[in-house]
Amino acid sequence: MQPVIRVRGLSKHYQVHERPPGMAAALRSIFHRTYRTVAAVDGIEFTIEPGERVGFLGPNGAGKTTTLKLLAGLLHPTGGDVSVDGHEPRRREDAFLKKIMLVLGQKQQLLWDLPPSETFELNRAIYDVPRAQFEETMRELTELLELGDLVRRPARTLSLGERMKCELCAALVHRPAVLFLDEPTIGLDVSMQATVRGFVQRYNERYGATLILTSHYMEDVQRLCPRVIVIDKGRLVYDGALEELVTRIRPDKRIVLRFSQPVDEADVAPFGTVVRDGEPPAGPAWTVSLDVHKDAVNRVVTGLLSKLPVSDLTVESPPLEEVMSELFARGKA
Amino acid sequence: MRRYLRLLGVQLRASLLLALQYRAEFLLDGFVEVFWMVPAIIPLAVVFRTRDAVGPWSFGEALMVVGWFTFLQGVLEGVINPSLATVVEHIRKGTLDFVLLKPADAQFLVSTARFQPWQCVNVFTAVGIFAWGFHELGRWPRPGDVGVATVAMLAAVVVLYSLWILTVSAAFYVVRIDNLSQLFNAIFDAARWPVSVFPRAVRVVFTFVIPLAVMTTFPAQALLGILAPAHLLGALAGAALAFAVARVVWKASIARYTSAGG
Repeated sequence: MQPVIRVRGLSKHYQVHERPPGMAAALRSIFHRTYRTVAAVDGIEFTIEPGERVGFLGPNGAGKTTTLKLLAGLLHPTGGDVSVDGHEPRRREDAFLKKIMLVLGQKQQLLWDLPPSETFELNRAIYDVPRAQFEETMRELTELLELGDLVRRPARTLSLGERMKCELCAALVHRPAVLFLDEPTIGLDVSMQATVRGFVQRYNERYGATLILTSHYMEDVQRLCPRVIVIDKGRLVYDGALEELVTRIRPDKRIVLRFSQPVDEADVAPFGTVVRDGEPPAGPAWTVSLDVHKDAVNRVVTGLLSKLPVSDLTVESPPLEEVMSELFARGKA
Repeated sequence: MRRYLRLLGVQLRASLLLALQYRAEFLLDGFVEVFWMVPAIIPLAVVFRTRDAVGPWSFGEALMVVGWFTFLQGVLEGVINPSLATVVEHIRKGTLDFVLLKPADAQFLVSTARFQPWQCVNVFTAVGIFAWGFHELGRWPRPGDVGVATVAMLAAVVVLYSLWILTVSAAFYVVRIDNLSQLFNAIFDAARWPVSVFPRAVRVVFTFVIPLAVMTTFPAQALLGILAPAHLLGALAGAALAFAVARVVWKASIARYTSAGG
């Protein structure tokens, strides 16, 4: 199958006006400005197959949103090639724009004082969607998103979560094949995040749409994206399965133990690294978390069960948040 | 073309719905518009109380200029300024991205984003002022003159629109555009006077740099049947040029936005 998105040597550099603090420097800068080049994206390469769900991970300012905007044609690359379904995004041809959509979690396109249905109608006209197809899409989206009569209330009266559902609906009026989602769940409560995630997955499965997602909530990426691309300081540092990334960064599993009577930490310590979350060692404890190399889990569990009064035991992967902060901390070192 | 007409229809509909959404505001707007007509005429009435003519313009003739000024003000307030406010907000909030991602001309989309339907009142006010002016002059306008005046007015609207696009383009560079639009409005206010009342140097500026003459004086002269054909052609050429320049500058500004923004 032909990849739908192909990115080669993509870079985006900005000229940033720079001046030292102070009045004198401010005055000097009127006549003589010094510029510094900042590489927001620096030589990124990847391809994405049709129907894939890919998560962009990276700390703030890593270049995730810039990359999305380059893919959507909102920014012109400084170097390299981008191709999205055979189009060069920067040309922003109508045929290209009709295939994609971009949702920005922190910005909205809904007409503020009017019901979302008016925005849908406007987008129908702009995207030139035939009436019958529009009605059908609306029926499906209303059902998938459980919109009900939300669409007939002025957008400004909707909650953040309801508005995001309508934003998604507005962005999907033309049934795009490529979805760019930048922080679609930002600021939403946990259940609304799950609703949005569930919807995005169902849309992807039903229409075979390709999607790229950035999110600060690891849960989004974990649930939605079998493949992740990690970007740090404008460079691609990892591209592959999420599971593999986790084992590579943290080959440890976490064993959470509950005891039937308090146990001294010293008795647990020989089995692995006790997780303290920065707290000083306390006295005997009812529960202890232990990080153990994944290959040693079987042996350690057997040992723990035979030596200690274990009442309950679970084996987990370390939280993705921790894995990520470790990855980015390494990048800084 | 038909698609854009339909788009225009949808945008108009949204603006109308918006105007109706706030009924009290809707009524108040209409009320305020009727009152605006009064300050449009007072300065003129004050001047003409003490003398019969300003330059070559009698009171009745000067009313033609005021009439077109009122009409243009309706266009400005009803069609142009509301959309201007929308674009500036888009730029400030970063939501212009959504406009640029639409498969339709961005300039068209922002230009038609918002209308203030109540400003239609200005059109009726303008007609009333013309009637009063011709009453003062003791005659009726000739149909041919009305036709020419309409053409001259179209040129005026194009010029006004182009100036507006240039102002909006400036917003890509300075972001804080509210001062700029106030300046725009202040200069526009000068258009209530026949251009020949201004000193020569100012007149040159107002004809060629900020074409107020084209905007109100020419259509007024046309309505009176005294517009030189060369002036009409000049106005049309000027309008075409202004439109082309505005288009080029707009395109360059968008390119700058997409290549620099972030």
